[in-house]
Amino acid sequence: MISATALIEARNLTKRYGDKAAVDNVSFRVDGGEIFGFLGPNGAGKTTTIKMIVGLLQPTSGAVTVCGYDVQIQPVQAKASNGYVPDTPNLYPKLSGRELLRFVGDLYQMDRKQIDYRITELLNLFDLSQAGDDTIDSYSHGMQQKTALAAALMHDPKVLVLDEPTVGLDPRSARMIKDILRQMADRGAAIFLSTHILEIAERMCDRIGIINRGQLVAVGTMVELRAIGNKNVPSSSTDTASETSLEDIFLGLTGGADYAEITEVLG
Amino acid sequence: MTAMPNIIPPVHPDRLAIYVWKLLRLRWILFISSFRRSKTRQKVGSAVLVFMMLGLMVGAFIVSWLLLGFLNSPKLTRILGDSTPFLEAVPTMVLFAAFGGILITSFGVLLQALYLANDMEFLLSAPVPIRAVFIAKMLQAVLPNLGLTLLFGLPVLFGLGVSQHYIWVYFPAVILMLVSLALTAAALASLMVMGIVRIFPARRVAEVLAFIGAILSFVCGQSGQVFRFQANNDQTVGVFNSLSKINPPWFPLAWFGNSLVDLGLGNWITGVGGFLFVTSLAGIIVAFSLTTAERLYYTGWATAQISVRKKKKQPSSPKRNAVKNPVLGWIEQLIPAPVRAIAVKDFLVLSRDLRNLSQLITPLIFGVLYTFILLRDSGEAATSKSGAQINVLITYGNTGIALFVGWMLLMRLALIAFSQEGKNYWLLKVAPLNPQRLLTAKFLVAFLPSTGLGWTFLLVTGLLRHSNLFFTVYGLIVITLSFAGMSGVLLAFGVNGANLEWTDPRQMIRGNSGCFGSLAGMIYIVLSAGLFYGPLVIGQALDLPTFAGGIAGLLLGGVFSLVCAYIPLQLVFHRVEHLGEG
Repeated sequence: MISATALIEARNLTKRYGDKAAVDNVSFRVDGGEIFGFLGPNGAGKTTTIKMIVGLLQPTSGAVTVCGYDVQIQPVQAKASNGYVPDTPNLYPKLSGRELLRFVGDLYQMDRKQIDYRITELLNLFDLSQAGDDTIDSYSHGMQQKTALAAALMHDPKVLVLDEPTVGLDPRSARMIKDILRQMADRGAAIFLSTHILEIAERMCDRIGIINRGQLVAVGTMVELRAIGNKNVPSSSTDTASETSLEDIFLGLTGGADYAEITEVLG
Repeated sequence: MTAMPNIIPPVHPDRLAIYVWKLLRLRWILFISSFRRSKTRQKVGSAVLVFMMLGLMVGAFIVSWLLLGFLNSPKLTRILGDSTPFLEAVPTMVLFAAFGGILITSFGVLLQALYLANDMEFLLSAPVPIRAVFIAKMLQAVLPNLGLTLLFGLPVLFGLGVSQHYIWVYFPAVILMLVSLALTAAALASLMVMGIVRIFPARRVAEVLAFIGAILSFVCGQSGQVFRFQANNDQTVGVFNSLSKINPPWFPLAWFGNSLVDLGLGNWITGVGGFLFVTSLAGIIVAFSLTTAERLYYTGWATAQISVRKKKKQPSSPKRNAVKNPVLGWIEQLIPAPVRAIAVKDFLVLSRDLRNLSQLITPLIFGVLYTFILLRDSGEAATSKSGAQINVLITYGNTGIALFVGWMLLMRLALIAFSQEGKNYWLLKVAPLNPQRLLTAKFLVAFLPSTGLGWTFLLVTGLLRHSNLFFTVYGLIVITLSFAGMSGVLLAFGVNGANLEWTDPRQMIRGNSGCFGSLAGMIYIVLSAGLFYGPLVIGQALDLPTFAGGIAGLLLGGVFSLVCAYIPLQLVFHRVEHLGEG
């Protein structure tokens, strides 16, 4: 890790829809040079949290700062440092990949020469050079996902927020994304990613946060999570406490272990 | 662990009717469920609509009965001649219209239902015979069209039967004939769909179809303005005779119509024989079309799922360091890069999506039509008034139409400026953009093309009709300022009613914003034109210098327009900040 500055900081972040708290008093920080994995069951509040970090949703209370800028008070400065890849890559279907990247470059007020250089670089990197002038509606899901990632990387952001970035990607592209994220973190960027693939989180992330029913139930490194998890994991799930997997910890903390019996019946 | 009981039900691919019934029942359940969940206002609206339709049917029946009966009156016979050929051609006319209507509409509906509907992957992977899916989808497409055909065709044909005292067999035969024709048209439409999607992508075909449909319906709607029909005796007799000839013996639909007339008149041999022949013919066509279409269906659908990207020739990269256009350089300095980027993106998206293009081309067609009408009519009017007066009136007229043509385009561009972003809005939302720049970009996207169209219309008509130069220049300033104000007003309504979750382009505007926006736009344009031209007209009436009236008009209208361009956008500024936050 190069930097230890908090590039993302959430303080008592809460989002309510009527009486229901989708995100309830969540606090965490992600430092520069760190890959932070955000895990949770379906509907736990992962995407809502992410949307508040990137400024797509206004928190009911609490605050998020990105690179020291409050996303609600100084949105333009905060967003200028951010790159975001959503879970569903909705991109203008009638623009070509190249046009989309140019559009994004202009939105971030990049220099024209820099835009041209970056487009060529990213299209080559993601193996999209051949399709760069085709409209996005002719792209496969994986190609759209890669285009969305290229768009997020256009301005070389200090903070990259990714919601399920590897869904729909072939193993080669998934591996490439993991490598890119590691390289970015090594250069001092903060990476915040949500995923359901626990293997990715376990191998890639420096720290992991687990959210359940809107509340952050655990944050820490794998070692710290194991320590927390050992208190929650049923003794039958693992023989040796030191070998507790992230899956066991996750199920222990989110109540998923209760479904083991159902799985047995279905099996 | 105990063995799990087998819960998979047996599949009977040979019992087709059961699966068709299940699929149609599912559709019915969905319809009932959505009706139950709809608001009371919508339920009442639907009930009123049903009663109105029934009323329309009864009304059409009575009108047809009286009018067709009136054709037999001796007075009318003296003017029009013998009406028997016309009356005998009525069933063919109705059947022709019904057949053509169902063929065209079924094509679009079947294309949507068989290739573009979201449930196809689910249905084709379910243990349901593909033939059942195909038949159920076709019936879904046919039933609404059959309903519409019965709504309009049945009262006319029943009215004919009652007025001509046809025997009772005629009436059930009409229903059977309409049903068999509707099925024939739908089956042929399905065959056309299968054939065309093997050559062109289904989505593109749907876009082109919507584009052509929108343009044709607009052109047809406006054609009455161009072709002036005067109801004199000669023209009426001419139309009457032409319609009577729609019944030639070689025309297959005439066989259907004539057999109905023969049945009504009690000519049993030709009537029953003809009826059996044409219904058998319809059955053969339906069977052949369905079998062929079904064979083509699965392979066609499978092909449609493979996205084939045509390799485009790489465009030569623009030489950015080459000699730079000074105007472009000035624009780049004046308009920030993000604003330019959004405007360019919007223009690209609008021009490439045929659904949008049809709506954008409509004002252009309107402009061309009215230029033609103005040029034609001004020649006739010039004979009755003095040259100078005419010239001024012509210029006023030109500006009025230019404002109207530009307004049509502006309405489309401004009201959906934000909504058209749809689910892609997140790209703008996460970008470092302040609402001011976003509003400026959207303002330019609405304002520039509309003003360009208004200017072009005014300059072209001005040149062709030798309009007064002062009033033409004045008109250009009026168009510019007036459209600036209207862009502000309509954009504000567009922000207020923005719907970013639409899947059907017709649902782009939420609630009543579209309706109120159009109304506000109309009120604005009348007020604005009044303020710009009022002082000019009053000045001329009082023999004051034209220049003074023009200055007063520009001051009044200009201030009003600029206030309208600014204030409404300030009112929705906060809303733009939080747009897309769910």
